Parts: sequence; structure tokens; C-alpha cells
Amino acid sequence: MGSRYRGVRNLSAIEVKNLTVRYDGYVAIEDVSITIDHPSLVVVMGPNGAGKTTFLKALLGLIPYNGTVSIFGKSPRKVRDRLGYLPQRERINLNVPLKVRDVVLLPLISRKTGIKRYDVKRAKEALEAVGMVDFWDSRFDSLSGGQQQRVLFARTIVTDPDILILDEPFSAADVRTKLALIDLLHKLKREKTVIIVLHDINPLVECTDRVILLNRRVLAYGTVAEVITEDNLEKLYGTKIPVIRQGPVCYVVGGDRHA
Amino acid sequence: MLDILLIRALIAMVLIAVVSATIGSFSVFRGSTFFVSGIAHGALAGASLGIFISLNFFGVDPLLIALLFSVFFAVIIGYASHRSENVDIAIGVMFAFSMSIAVLFLSMIREYASVAWGLIIGDVLLLTASDMILLSVSVVTVVILFFVFYRRLLFVIFDPESAEALGLHVLRYETLLFVLIAVGVVALLKCVGAILVYALLIVPAASSRRLFGSVEGTIAGAFIISLISGLGGVYLSIYLNVAPSALAGLIAAIIYSISLFR
Ligand SMILES: Nc1ncnc2c1ncn2[C@@H]1O[C@H](COP(=O)(O)OP(=O)(O)OP(=O)(O)O)[C@@H](O)[C@H]1O
Ligand SMILES: [Mg+2]
Repeated sequence: MGSRYRGVRNLSAIEVKNLTVRYDGYVAIEDVSITIDHPSLVVVMGPNGAGKTTFLKALLGLIPYNGTVSIFGKSPRKVRDRLGYLPQRERINLNVPLKVRDVVLLPLISRKTGIKRYDVKRAKEALEAVGMVDFWDSRFDSLSGGQQQRVLFARTIVTDPDILILDEPFSAADVRTKLALIDLLHKLKREKTVIIVLHDINPLVECTDRVILLNRRVLAYGTVAEVITEDNLEKLYGTKIPVIRQGPVCYVVGGDRHA
Repeated sequence: MLDILLIRALIAMVLIAVVSATIGSFSVFRGSTFFVSGIAHGALAGASLGIFISLNFFGVDPLLIALLFSVFFAVIIGYASHRSENVDIAIGVMFAFSMSIAVLFLSMIREYASVAWGLIIGDVLLLTASDMILLSVSVVTVVILFFVFYRRLLFVIFDPESAEALGLHVLRYETLLFVLIAVGVVALLKCVGAILVYALLIVPAASSRRLFGSVEGTIAGAFIISLISGLGGVYLSIYLNVAPSALAGLIAAIIYSISLFR
């Protein structure tokens, strides 16, 4: 099942125009307009409650919105099989005693009845990619937070989507896990568009194409060098955050901002 | 004559164990066990309305009204749970409303209250042929739908947002699960009564979840624990001459306490 959009370059993956989302009248995000190239890696940053998750959900067509979202020229609901979503880990129900293999197989088999050998092969490959294939028969709820996150990452890539939408995928990861996942992202972004919510951009600075600073509205959208400035970060978080620059690379000091 | 009643009781206990294994396990996974006792009392309210109608207006099987009531509640709660995180309040309101309705009609049919009493505590040793047909048809329907939608239901319980993102209609499947629970509960009503539905539907599944872990293990274990409780209850009741559902509930609760020490 090869991808229809693989190899297509410089096509815009996502076009968002005047996107506004309200929850019972409360405006969570307002008038967001951006275009995202394919393939590319886009980081979304902003303080808690800024509307980052809301933005991702609108891209996925999971919540009602005003404005337009078009993905490969179509509405999100029409291209669902090309999207992979990794929700914030807190949203998952650990009461269900699934095995690791069940978790990764779910997206492949939830719409048919039997399990094909081909599905098992793909699930194993996805777990291999995140270094969790040895846990094939383990219970998901018995894993550590970081291991769970790796398994969920595998579940997100198992359907081989063209666009990956990841909500804080490193929140429970230790340094080693984080580096392994970043390595994987480096490979994936060669042919996929990755949209990723992060509180700490530093480990991804080298492979980030664009950054969105979001706080209800888009404060800035551009390359890392353009967007990650002390002025912008102060506007975003409301406190002074030093930025160190080395050529095109810059680092946010005290990266993990939960301001 | 006792023989046929006993055989019916034993068959009923097997069917109840099937409901516990399937619907009971998934209710435990979803953390919807309060919903189960809420629905049981909703069914009771429907049944007492049914008894009231057949005494005063026209003949109707109270269990049919019970089924309508509980399915109606299931759809409402399914919708409410989709809209807000905490549905326990909505279920509590349904619970209170149901009990008010039940008490209202029971107080109006005082002289026939024993009929209603049968639905509150149940009597598995008094099942009629038509009760058996209703029970078997509902259990078979529930089990078929359960296994057809097994993986989709699991996905929706485990991670509704990702399921929705992959194109599963979460509201539809959650409502389906709630309706299956409602049908399962009504099937049990005549056998074990509204009060003890929880004891035979949820307690075995909860113990099994603790003892056996995996999804398949929980389902198989819940079947066995519910069967042991149900058959044990019937068997002991013949010697002790007390209500079998009460004994079954006690056995299930004892097994649960043992599972806590694992
Ligand atoms: N289902 C909902 N109903 C009502 N309000 C909501 C809902 N979901 C989010 N909100 C509100 O919308 C705002 C944005 O929420 P969102 O989850 O998108 O923020 P976020 O940037 O992802 O935050 P975090 O960093 O904490 O994950 C918050 O003020 C939140 O309270
Ligand atoms: Mg969020």
C-alpha cells in the first residue's frame, strides 16, 4: 500500500485559512492562517492553554471549526487514512489491559475482522523502529511512561501516513528515548510532513523547517532563526528567556518552558 | 416440575456468565460500572411502569418497557459522555429519576408489588418459557454484535481520539456499547434483580481483570467466575432454601475479595 504522495515534492501539505475554534463560546484559537510544505517538519510552541492541542485537532477534523483547513487539497475528514495522530499520553485509558502488539495492531485491524500476517509484519517493523519490538507480548499498562510513548509512536507510524501529527511525544521520555525518537523523526521527515507540539525545541532545532508560535493567535511563523528570538519568546510566555545563537542554530536557555 | 425450573435456572446462569464475560469486561475496561447499576435501575423503572400499564390499561410485557427505558437512557448517556468528561452526574440524575419513577408506580400497584419485587431481587428459579426465549434472544444478539465490533469497541475505549482520527465514528460505537449494556442488563433483570445485576455482571469481570490481566484472559476468567458464582448460588439455594441470586452475589464478592490479595 504505497503512499500516493510519496516523492511529490514542494506540494503544500496543509493550507489553513482564518481558522477559529470555539468551545461553547470560548475562543481557543483565532484567525490562524498558515501554509505547510510537504515534506517538512513544523514545531508548534506555546504556553499551556495556548490552543496547541486544539489546533492539531482542527487539522485532523476532530472538532468543529470556522475557516478552512485543506490537506492535500481536501478536507481533513476525506484524507484521514493519510494522517497519523499521537495524542497527549494522558488521554489514554490504561484500564484496558491491552498487550503492546494489540496497541500497534489496532489501527490496522480495527476496520476489518481478521489479523493478516502482513499486519503483524508491519506492526513488528514499527515497533522495531522505536526499539520496542522485544516488548511485543508485554502488557502496555505495565510499561514505563517513556516506553508507552514509544509504543504509541509506533502505532502512529504503523499505517504509514503521509502526515504525522504529534502532541508532546517526548513528555515522558528520558534522554535516550528522546534521542532515539528524534533520530527516527530525522528519517521520517525526508518523505513525510511532521507537525509536532513541543515545549522544548532545542533537541529538534537542526531538523525543524518551520516554527509556529501560538498563543490563541499565531505570534510568529517562520524558520527557527527567524522566529526563536528573545523578543518573540517574551511575547509568547510573558517572561524573559535568553536565546543563544551559533550561526544558524539557536538554543533556548532553560528550554522546557511550562510557563 | 422442579426439574424444568432447575434446568432453566442453570441455562440462565450460563447465559448470564456470557454477558458478564463480554459486556461486563468491557464496562470494567471503560470504567462504566456506575452506568451499569444506573441502567439496572432505569430498567426497573421501566418494568414498574410496564406493570402499571398492564394492570390498568392493556397487557404488555413489563420487560419490554424495561428494555425501551434502558435503551433510551443508554442513548442519552452515550451522547452526554461524548459531550463532557464527567458523566457520573448525568448517570446519578438518571439513577435518582429512575428510582423516583419506580417508587411512584410501585406505590400505585401496591397489591401487586410482589411482581415488581421479583424484578428488584429476581428469581432465577421461577423463569417461564417466554422468559427463557427473551433471555436467549437478547444474549445471542448482544454476543454477536459484541464480537462483530470487538476491535472497534476496544479501540474506542482505549483511545477515543485516535480512533476518531482514524475515521472510526466514536459516538456511534460508544452508544452501541451502552445499548449492548442496556440489553444485557434487562436480560439479567428477571433472573437476578436490579440490585444484584452489578454483582453478577461487573464483580466477576472486575475480579478477572485483577487475576488474569490480558483482554482475552479477563473475558475468559469473567465467564468462569460468573459461572461458578451463578451455579454455586443455585446449588446452595436448594439446600439452604434462600434466594439463589443473593448467594451468587456473595460468592462473586468473595472471589473479588480474594483477587484483591493477589
Ligand atoms: N473540550 C473542551 N471544552 C472546553 N474548553 C476546552 C476544551 N478543550 C480545551 N479547552 C480550552 O481551550 C484552551 C486551549 O486548550 P488546548 O488543550 O488546545 O491547549 P494546549 O495549548 O494544548 O495546552 P497544554 O500545553 O496544556 O496541552 C484551554 O483554555 C482549554 O481550557
Ligand atoms: Mg495540549
